[in-house]
Amino acid sequence: MTFVHAVTSSPVMRRAVLLAPAMLVIGVFFIGGLAQALAQSLGQQPLLGDSRWSFDAYRSAATDPAVRSSIGLTLRIGILSTLLATVLGVGCALVVRRLGSGRVWMTRLFQGTLAVPHLVGALCISLLLSPTGQVSRVAHAIGLVDGSQQFPALVQDGFGWGIIAEYVWKETPFMAVIALAAMTADLNRLEDVSRTLGAARWQRLRHVTLPMLDAPVGAAAILVLAFTMGSYEVPVLLGRPFPAPLSVVTYQSFSDTDLTSRPQAMAVAVLLATLTTIIAGLYLMLVQLSRRRRT
Amino acid sequence: MLILATSTALVLSACGASDDPGTKVDSQDWSGVLADAKGETVNWYMFGGDDALNTFVEDEVAPRLASRGVKLKQVRITDTAEAVNKVLGEVQAGRTSGGSVDAIWINGENFATGVQADIWACGWADDLPNDSYVDHTDPAVANDFGVPVKGCESVWQKANSALVYDSAKLDPADVASGDSLLAWVKANPGRFAYPAPPDFTGSLAVRSLLYSRIDGPSSLSGAFDEQAYTKATSTFFDDLNALEPSLWRKGETYPSSQDDVERLFADGEISAYFTYGPGAVATKVDDGVFPTSTREAVLSSGNISNFSFISIPKNAAHRSAAFVLADTLQAPEVQLAMFKATGAYPGIGVSRTSKTAQKEFARVPRSASVLSIDELSARAQPELSSEYLTRIEKDWKSQVLQK
Repeated sequence: MTFVHAVTSSPVMRRAVLLAPAMLVIGVFFIGGLAQALAQSLGQQPLLGDSRWSFDAYRSAATDPAVRSSIGLTLRIGILSTLLATVLGVGCALVVRRLGSGRVWMTRLFQGTLAVPHLVGALCISLLLSPTGQVSRVAHAIGLVDGSQQFPALVQDGFGWGIIAEYVWKETPFMAVIALAAMTADLNRLEDVSRTLGAARWQRLRHVTLPMLDAPVGAAAILVLAFTMGSYEVPVLLGRPFPAPLSVVTYQSFSDTDLTSRPQAMAVAVLLATLTTIIAGLYLMLVQLSRRRRT
Repeated sequence: MLILATSTALVLSACGASDDPGTKVDSQDWSGVLADAKGETVNWYMFGGDDALNTFVEDEVAPRLASRGVKLKQVRITDTAEAVNKVLGEVQAGRTSGGSVDAIWINGENFATGVQADIWACGWADDLPNDSYVDHTDPAVANDFGVPVKGCESVWQKANSALVYDSAKLDPADVASGDSLLAWVKANPGRFAYPAPPDFTGSLAVRSLLYSRIDGPSSLSGAFDEQAYTKATSTFFDDLNALEPSLWRKGETYPSSQDDVERLFADGEISAYFTYGPGAVATKVDDGVFPTSTREAVLSSGNISNFSFISIPKNAAHRSAAFVLADTLQAPEVQLAMFKATGAYPGIGVSRTSKTAQKEFARVPRSASVLSIDELSARAQPELSSEYLTRIEKDWKSQVLQK
């Protein structure tokens, strides 16, 4: 009784108890997983029982053409998808907000697409954009291309358009929902005040509306970036076996029938995690800088 | 995400490590095995991409197991390496008993991976009562892609590869040999494809083309020999690279799976491909997925053949039930039902079964699109050892895919 009382009466203890379940999950699965990946990338071989510590896995990853060609592709897919989804999502939100009663329906539509799994999205994009897909058939019917062979490669293409298309399709509604949630009555009032003070439409957008959005939208953009850089099923369905994003390269070496290629798989996974962290850090710094410049 | 997923699997499997190990019944004591298996559920991990085979497992295998008191839980996977990785993850987490995988449909490289990490239960396959139907004089039964089987897996199916083609587009002369096929490919750019190795069938396609060049595997038989390999593949990969402009999508990319290749054939994008499951083609033609002009051929250099097996991990929770599954799958009536339902060829030696069973096998009707067992086995060639396979896949990747 006294123990329970002591725990519940102290605000610090109470917070610690309430946070414990979440911290346990993060600690065991995230930190534990990362530590294990790091150990195996440095040569720990739990299955072969022959551990020799070295940076060999990183060295061999650095010279592997599959990894080298993958870094640019991973960054391109992650950054382009995030930029496009953010701009389109915020743009949609700004338009939908003016719709009046239509806003409720559009918001529901956006929320509905959130429930569609990426796997289904990837299959839909494939049905739409593949050489024998719907778009190609329509293009052929109206005489834009002569046949499926002439249709430009939009899935399993070298640039990654199919993958980017899926991410943009799926993440734009997500960004729009986040932006709409941030467009509260407070924001309306602030905009009204600035209008009475003589701010033009563009000035209101730039100095009032967007600054109110950048914290929630910025956070959501980091989520999208981390996801698009690390996701596996979309690039495996819509991308090429080579060059492939780091997530796919990791799985390729993880499922290699030769167990001695496990350390390299883990090294690539660690590289991917590091890369994502760096990009997210850079982005946060940029947001901070722009905020400081404004105030 | 990947790190998270792997570690989650590891931690979760570690959490379940306290399962009751139970007593392990020796496979030689078959009545003991049967008694021990009663009431158990066997978790059978198998490639789940073949609808006809899945139906056969539900309609034929599950009821027969139920009559022996064993409940079947079929776990469908897209790649056998997934099941092996699951066992490896459990072993890595210290789960030496009570493992969640009881049996795996497996062969070749994945079996070799498990041998490398010493995860298989061994010495039981010869004790199965139905093992008497297995032809142990066949070298492909004793060695799985060059790895000695040593009773660590039991035979299930025989797989003979074949070239599938659309006879409206190719003449029998085009598919007579590897050279005539490649000549046709060059004359008809974009109409031929194979999945990127290490895909199982992609790897087969590359080996089939290699066999055609060196006229069968005789110069590469036995364990890996660097000199023989260098000689056999001297300009092989360069030639495959030079073939790329004539392949699907000008060889700028390769289909990532055999499913993709078969979809391309169904869509009419390509007109020929290699398969390790020629029997399943009949169903696709009957269902209208493939054109009725679909035919099969064996190149003059022969077709690669192998056996697929059932393996049981050392840490399997229901070992006795897995023994019963492996034995049931070898029963002549089950093998016959499988051949009828799916076109998959019997892993047992048909000549070792009863006269009536042999007649039944001979009487199974055959679609005009597929070759008979005799035609498929007349020029059957064994697989190379798994070291050669790994090396070919590696060299294909660096000298063809990445060039």
